[in-house]
Amino acid sequence: MKNYLKLVVVFAAGLLLQNCTSDDREIIIDNPPPSGDYANGVFVLNEGGYTSSNASVSFIDDSGEVYNDIFYAVNGRLLGDVAQSMAFYEDKAYIVVNNSNTIEVVNRYTFELITTIENDILTPRYMTFDGDKGYITNWGDPADTTDDYVAVLDTETNVVIKTIPVAEGPEAILNNNGTLYVSHYGGWGYGNTISVLDAVSESVTSTIAVYDVPGDMVIHNNDLYVLCSGKANYTGDETLGGIQKINMVTNQVTDEIVFASGVHPGYLQIDNNALLYTLNREIYRVDFSDFTLPTAPLFSTISQNVGVLYGFKIIEGDIYIADAKDYVSNGEALVYNLQGQFKKNYNVKLIPNGFYNNN
Amino acid sequence: MNRYFTLLMCFSFGANFAQDAPVTELNEVSLKYIKLKDSVYTTTQTILSDSILKRNPTSLTSLLNYNTTIYLKENGLGMVSSPSFRGTTAQQTAVLWNGININSQTTGQTDFNTVNTRGYDQVIVKSGGGGVVDGSNAIGGSIYLENKIDYNTGFENDLFLNYGSYNTYGIDYKTSYSTKNTSFSLGISNQGSENNYEYQGTERINKNGQFKNTNISTTFGFKLNKKNAINLYSNIYDGKRNFSLPTPNALESKYDDFNTRSMVEWVSKFKGIISNTKVAYITENYKYYPNIARDYYSYGDVGSLFLKYNLDYELGRMLISGGFNYNQNNGEGSDIKHEKRHLGSAVLGLKHKVNKRFLYEISLRQELNSVYESPFLYSAGVQAEITRFYSLKLNTSKNFRIPTYNDMYWEGLGNPDLKPELSYQGEMSHILHIPNATLTLNGYYNKVQNLLLWTPDVNGVWRPKNAENVKIYGVEALLTAKKSIASHTVDVSATYAYTVSTNEKTDNQLIYVPYHKLTTAVGYNYKKLSAYYQYIRNGEVYTTTDNASEHILNSYMVANFGVEYNLGRKNNTYILGAKVLNLWNESYESVLNRPMPGRNFNVYLNFNI
Repeated sequence: MKNYLKLVVVFAAGLLLQNCTSDDREIIIDNPPPSGDYANGVFVLNEGGYTSSNASVSFIDDSGEVYNDIFYAVNGRLLGDVAQSMAFYEDKAYIVVNNSNTIEVVNRYTFELITTIENDILTPRYMTFDGDKGYITNWGDPADTTDDYVAVLDTETNVVIKTIPVAEGPEAILNNNGTLYVSHYGGWGYGNTISVLDAVSESVTSTIAVYDVPGDMVIHNNDLYVLCSGKANYTGDETLGGIQKINMVTNQVTDEIVFASGVHPGYLQIDNNALLYTLNREIYRVDFSDFTLPTAPLFSTISQNVGVLYGFKIIEGDIYIADAKDYVSNGEALVYNLQGQFKKNYNVKLIPNGFYNNN
Repeated sequence: MNRYFTLLMCFSFGANFAQDAPVTELNEVSLKYIKLKDSVYTTTQTILSDSILKRNPTSLTSLLNYNTTIYLKENGLGMVSSPSFRGTTAQQTAVLWNGININSQTTGQTDFNTVNTRGYDQVIVKSGGGGVVDGSNAIGGSIYLENKIDYNTGFENDLFLNYGSYNTYGIDYKTSYSTKNTSFSLGISNQGSENNYEYQGTERINKNGQFKNTNISTTFGFKLNKKNAINLYSNIYDGKRNFSLPTPNALESKYDDFNTRSMVEWVSKFKGIISNTKVAYITENYKYYPNIARDYYSYGDVGSLFLKYNLDYELGRMLISGGFNYNQNNGEGSDIKHEKRHLGSAVLGLKHKVNKRFLYEISLRQELNSVYESPFLYSAGVQAEITRFYSLKLNTSKNFRIPTYNDMYWEGLGNPDLKPELSYQGEMSHILHIPNATLTLNGYYNKVQNLLLWTPDVNGVWRPKNAENVKIYGVEALLTAKKSIASHTVDVSATYAYTVSTNEKTDNQLIYVPYHKLTTAVGYNYKKLSAYYQYIRNGEVYTTTDNASEHILNSYMVANFGVEYNLGRKNNTYILGAKVLNLWNESYESVLNRPMPGRNFNVYLNFNI
């Protein structure tokens, strides 16, 4: 009888007295590129899981080598919760971290942290620059449809110096020689306008009515093209999507492509003579000379098994596609040429959503 | 929009210490002595009661984390918490309040940090499929929250006060009075904490993590005559939590829960027949404030009516049971269409004690409803006492989980064509009775089909569907031991689980399911002095479906140590106790980037008169 007890006690003591654990997570810190910095390549922003605080930045250099988790590798801490977008100004990169309500300012070549902007930033989305000022779209409290704004940043001090109230859900922001165009994608609700802001007077000068849920915008020959997804079926109030051409002198819609009912395009990019947009997992091309709805896709990403097409960018004659998979595993960056031929894929991190050329 | 939708869906995630009972108790019933009861004989149950409830913090999360094989995912201390029982998902553990399934009708799961264990006399953990008896969600196992109705105990009062680090406080008072034919009890528990602990190795503290809750439970029992008794049960839970910030500059949010449960039970016994009728009404209500600075909130609100009738008929060595259940849910929410649904089922069971050493049981359940496919469920098993020291149990069962309100009725996204999840499982238990100790070894296999998941469609929009099949197998070892020499008593209880839970398509381990979990509790008692030590070790878990190593949550161990002294005399207890939580100051997380507290302290007083 006593032996059993002893056995039990010895067994228990053995278990209890171990008070250290092994470290089994391995964030593999890639060595920096041989050149010593992150020039000559493309940054991939991985937004990470919502509230998981595991956003990261990958870098694909010109030789095709991938360097993951570079913010962590250089600065020794995590980037934050949902990296939304990134913008360059002089030798700085501004990383907009949506759910952290921060903008991380780093040197765009060394990736060393310069500062973190925290004040007057609330649910930030995208950023652009004019002169020495930065302009950041903010949803504010996402459930409040009346507190949305564009923050004006002094790039010398990296302090927000003014906020400009705008309609709900300001998303993309584009600068055309001091005139800022802001598409109102919608945050809690759904937007259907573009705000026109004057960078000097820092005020809204005009509002352009467009189709529902406007997102990406591009400029070609003094015309602004905006892609509107339309309200999806699950909203209970499905509407048509479209690509609208806006004269930037008159701020009038001069032409448009309307999508069929139930068709909701995703992202818009510009190649020299054409617009390219995504629809589910396919890419379509519209030539400026023939501004009509294409009948067939340029190419499909289905043969590369893309799960969710979550980022789309044309960089130096290549099409970059981000595959977010199931949102709960590491994603991929895929590269196609402008004819839609698949060239290469790169393993990146959790939920890639954007590409930024650092050449 | 996806991301905000995801957010919504995420919220849509011991007194007289062991002087006479081991720290945890395996609910073994010897076939020799007892009459057959309406309970399950061929699977494993663990009872947590008395000292173990008092020595653990009040959340069900903490109780189960330190005493069972269940893995608990906690978004920081006191925040949203969900279980993984035997490698299953958060919705595949059924929680029953005095026999009534209380898993949320909106999310399908119970937030284990919204159950205050001080409101109950015992918590029973039942491993493995229990669909026939417990209904939907009982795939990994079931947790029973039970109130006992005692007679002839006189007037009793129990007051428990505690205070600790981070301004954590608790006041629990229970009073009961019973005579030969009537019984009454009232328990009030009030808990709260600033919960502003440091994140070890950083400059950060747990901001906006404060919580408080109140639980009131009452029972009444009336013996009308020798054959009939009426029992009344009620419970109110009012919880207010701020959600701790994932990053320092994040928007501050909060979450309120208000749940009520009430039940009337009529038990009637005559000539080998026990008839049991239950009528219960439960309400669940949550309010989520995405910004604490504003009054805006989103909500979910469901009221559920249960009617349960069961009749047991004893025929020689057999117990025949039959019954039916009717359940009506009436719910709505900010994003949920108002819907009423009616669910019914009929149950038939047979237990047969063939001889003193061998028993078999079979039970069947047919679901009856118009909302989704109505599965036919079964459970069958044997128990054999092969020698005095060794018993064997075998059980096989088919179980299910119904789609939730969110799954079916979410505005625009809900899918009315969903099928229930089905689980087919088998298990074998070996029970070894060695002197002063019992060791149980379980092996099981569980195949889950039509797993209900919200997955992105080609547009990246999250929608619910019957997405995957999962294959789970594992082994468990449960040990309880107790030994007294002179005035010294030592008792030990330990659990270990090895769990493999893989997605059939990818062969990858499910996220937040550790391969290994170990718990150990050792208690020592010498006259009026007691000491106890709890230790758990959780193996690493994956947080991504591709099992990528850089997203792994590290394995960790946590230990607590406490001492208490009883100043009371005779039947009165006045216990003064103190404990150190996370004794070794381990830095750990059970959900990615949600740090848990380091070493902290708690003192308590318990008066029982």
